[in-house]
Amino acid sequence: MATSFKQIEENLKNEARKLLEDQKVSLVLAYGRGYDENHPVPFVAKVAADVENIVFNEYCTANMARYLVRYPRGTKMAIAVKPADSRAVVQLIQEDKVKREDLILLGIPVIGMKNSKTGEAIDGKTTCGLYNPVLYDVLLGEEIHGQPVDSPYDVLAQYEAMDKDERFAFWKKEFDKCIRCYACRKACPMCYCDPCFIDQNKPKWGDKSPQSHGNLMYHLTRFHHLAGRCIDCGECSRACPVDIPLYLFHKKVARECEEMFGQAAGNSIQDKPVLVNFRVDDSDKILE
Amino acid sequence: MSFEPKILGIACNWCTYTGADLAGTTRLQYPQNIRMVRVMCSSRINPSFIFKAFQLGADGVLVGGCHPGDCHYNTGNLYARRRLAVTKKILEFSGMEPGRFRVEWISASEGNKFAEVVSEFTEQIRNLGPQTKFKIEE
Ligand code: SF4
Ligand code: SF4
Ligand code: FES
Repeated sequence: MATSFKQIEENLKNEARKLLEDQKVSLVLAYGRGYDENHPVPFVAKVAADVENIVFNEYCTANMARYLVRYPRGTKMAIAVKPADSRAVVQLIQEDKVKREDLILLGIPVIGMKNSKTGEAIDGKTTCGLYNPVLYDVLLGEEIHGQPVDSPYDVLAQYEAMDKDERFAFWKKEFDKCIRCYACRKACPMCYCDPCFIDQNKPKWGDKSPQSHGNLMYHLTRFHHLAGRCIDCGECSRACPVDIPLYLFHKKVARECEEMFGQAAGNSIQDKPVLVNFRVDDSDKILE
Repeated sequence: MSFEPKILGIACNWCTYTGADLAGTTRLQYPQNIRMVRVMCSSRINPSFIFKAFQLGADGVLVGGCHPGDCHYNTGNLYARRRLAVTKKILEFSGMEPGRFRVEWISASEGNKFAEVVSEFTEQIRNLGPQTKFKIEE
């Protein structure tokens, strides 16, 4: 049986309180109440009294790993991590953005998360679909086993089957909707560049106004920069105000990277990100 | 008017660009559709160069580097191989014709290979016709 959200919330509060009281960490990254129950917001507890504001329920989808890089190096932090979030932390450790020894991971096994905008269940169609964190120090609920395990890439089949013109038309229509609010980049734990390439003026990679060509440049390059790094949390797509299914493209690139380089993002802190690595015997076939 | 493809070539200084020079100095014939840009190493190529080239109207993009193992900087092309493989997949999933982007390893002594690759690639692009998907409308 999966631990109830209420119980997880209780456990999260207790752990957070203990860590802050014992001064093991200077902050705890978790979730707090938004304008109502169904819209929790990212929340940082800094003193034990803050802990009362922590919540956890099926709408706590935000990936809190997003906030780790905001604090100075060496800050001791605890972070609530759902399965995909834990992969983001692993990936950030691989990229030397945070140090393992500075973190306490409060792992949360999840099932039955929901998209607060649509109310739809969140599963392997829009995320990596794992039930248990890949890395944690404390587990706040019982591990979940015996649930159906679908490949996170199954959803791609229908898009891969499209012919290229059809697929181009599909993406053009989607990218043309983009209003360039950059919520996708803000929500993403792996988008930490400052400045982002699209904000640069010299060289200017793409137009900043929301028009086809600048949008195309922004998105294709962003997919590229996330290649082998995106951990498939799906937050970018949930953050998008115009519902562009960015996750599809990210999944496609992730799958290709896995097939070509034999490694998925955010699985082990021993790994090196695939694009800053190589093997002398990588095959030229990957270029075909 | 018949379609003359516009092809961007990006070649590393130490191998492919020198190979292109060799093709020229030995007066090998190859189509003049290619415009060469020299970079120091294939790993210098930012994938956005390729997206940008297509946006600016290239019908095809050819990248040339040293053979794996022969990069002047030892490992540059080994990184580039992985990176450009991803670029290729991204182009493909976006709906671009995969045949418009190609990576070849051509050494400084392979003037012949350079001429052959350029001829073959030009023919391929000619058959694909003008690239309109990424091209920015004036
Ligand atoms: S690109 Fe999207 S799915 Fe991937 S890590 Fe970033 S927010 Fe998550
Ligand atoms: S969140 Fe959506 S609309 Fe905003 S920049 Fe990203 S893709 Fe465009
Ligand atoms: S110098 Fe030719 S590929 Fe690196």
